[in-house]
Amino acid sequence: MLKLITNNAGLHVSVSSSEYVDGSSLDVLIRVRGLVHSGSIILTHPLCGNLRPNQQPFRSVIVDAESRAVDLDSLSIIESAVNVYQSSKLVFPKDFDDKTRADYAYIDSELMRESLGRYGLIRDERLCNAPSLKVKEV
Amino acid sequence: MKLELHRLKVNSLKFGEKTGFADGVLTVNKAEILALISEDPLLGKNLDVDIAMPGESVRVMPVKDVIEPRWKLSGKGQVFPGMISDVETVGEGQTLVLSGCAVLTAGKLVRFQEGIIDMSGPGADYTPYSKTCNVVLVLEPSDPNMDKHDYEKACRIAGLKTAAYLAKSCADVKADTVETFELPTMREAMTQFPELPKVGYIYMLQTQGLLHDTYLYGVDVKKILPTIISPLEVMDGAIVSGNCVSACDKNSTYSHLNNPVIADMLKRHGKDFNFVATIVTNENVTLADKKRSSSYAAKLAGMLGLDGVVITEEGFGNPDADLIMNCRKCEQLGIKTALLTDEYAGQDGASQSLADSCPEGTACVTAGNANEVITLPPMSKVIGYPEEANVIAGGWQGSLADDGSITVELQAITGATSELGYTKLGAYTL
Repeated sequence: MLKLITNNAGLHVSVSSSEYVDGSSLDVLIRVRGLVHSGSIILTHPLCGNLRPNQQPFRSVIVDAESRAVDLDSLSIIESAVNVYQSSKLVFPKDFDDKTRADYAYIDSELMRESLGRYGLIRDERLCNAPSLKVKEV
Repeated sequence: MKLELHRLKVNSLKFGEKTGFADGVLTVNKAEILALISEDPLLGKNLDVDIAMPGESVRVMPVKDVIEPRWKLSGKGQVFPGMISDVETVGEGQTLVLSGCAVLTAGKLVRFQEGIIDMSGPGADYTPYSKTCNVVLVLEPSDPNMDKHDYEKACRIAGLKTAAYLAKSCADVKADTVETFELPTMREAMTQFPELPKVGYIYMLQTQGLLHDTYLYGVDVKKILPTIISPLEVMDGAIVSGNCVSACDKNSTYSHLNNPVIADMLKRHGKDFNFVATIVTNENVTLADKKRSSSYAAKLAGMLGLDGVVITEEGFGNPDADLIMNCRKCEQLGIKTALLTDEYAGQDGASQSLADSCPEGTACVTAGNANEVITLPPMSKVIGYPEEANVIAGGWQGSLADDGSITVELQAITGATSELGYTKLGAYTL
């Protein structure tokens, strides 16, 4: 079963198969690593594009969650991603004011949108217009 | 394929009655530009056009893209095909270039994105666009709740239209210099210089999603398979940036037009190696895409019988995985690689520089550490929104001091660690 693992609450509610992690980006990756240990395959790269762990508080990863032999490629990728996050200062969603947090949530959602669509996981066609993801003008 | 770049050297800018060029001065009719960009109903009423010159105490932020004014005088198609002109293939004929001039698009899009350009002071050394005479567009959406894809596109098109308009307005002026590029067909290229190694260029383009996209003839590059492009098409604007982040290592449209890797490889072509092909590829989010594109790019290099490739990355984080896949797969085919990237090694420079690596990656050039911290002194004038320093990528709450100075990582400065090598700072062989 395909599944999104995310700490981005706005994205979580817009995706048909999703597991919400109430924590940091690193917590998301550690949950993904647990799934890989029990046979899941990672479908999207666990590292963020163009933002460091100490910048982007949200992380979202799509996995194919099945019980099978451990996929060594997925294991290698998630282990090195966890290492990157563990060696960096982390930021949490609560560290930001509402507007900035909404910005980061929006970009996290946007960068997952194409992949979610491709894997048939978007419940809300107008994902990026979900009220929870709206960024109010300053 | 033959392209002539007809260059007019812009030494100064001024507003005036008629847009045109004389004696090194580009005169700009502000009202015409405002009318041109106001045609787009997606842009608001409070648009502005300003000028930022080298050496001035001026800061522009947040900057989205930088575009060099170009206009085709002859040959098929027109500049920025698929964006503001037909999709006809470009790269042949004559193209007018306003050298030393740039159009900057500025305005708030998503708050932490985009960059800073200082026209003087220590920050100016880190951005090549402090040396250009800049026409700055300050943009806003007509509806504050507008879909961000629409607004990003409106900003992108406004910049391209203005750049084309400026060059078109100077089309009747005889060029100061003419640079001619003539490239052979692939059949001829394959048999030229048999004593020299055949090399290519794998040109990675950022394609992760909104504010992280690049376009090839108007096509969203995340949807292509790697393909072969002539360097001359790149010079006519076949590749356009829709990428806003990170400011330090996004490849602006300007740096695509003036890609220094292509320029240097053309200079050394026939002397040190036979520069046979440029392969454009993408940097997508899914692992399947990363595998597909890296395998396909390496396959193209292998089919062409290349002995070596230069690979440039755009951005960082999971694109590091694409860079490493491209490197490893080429090396496994016996194709030597040289990588051009930048580093995110932490403010102290002690952290791992790239998120991925491989034993085959033995030749790597860096454009610098994007986490290096710099303090930018206050400027007399800020075009745009200085308060964005507190939220821009590379800044933090408190980056903007009461006196107007800004303390940020180099990540926030447009073009500071360009992974095409379009920077002024670096090591030079004398």
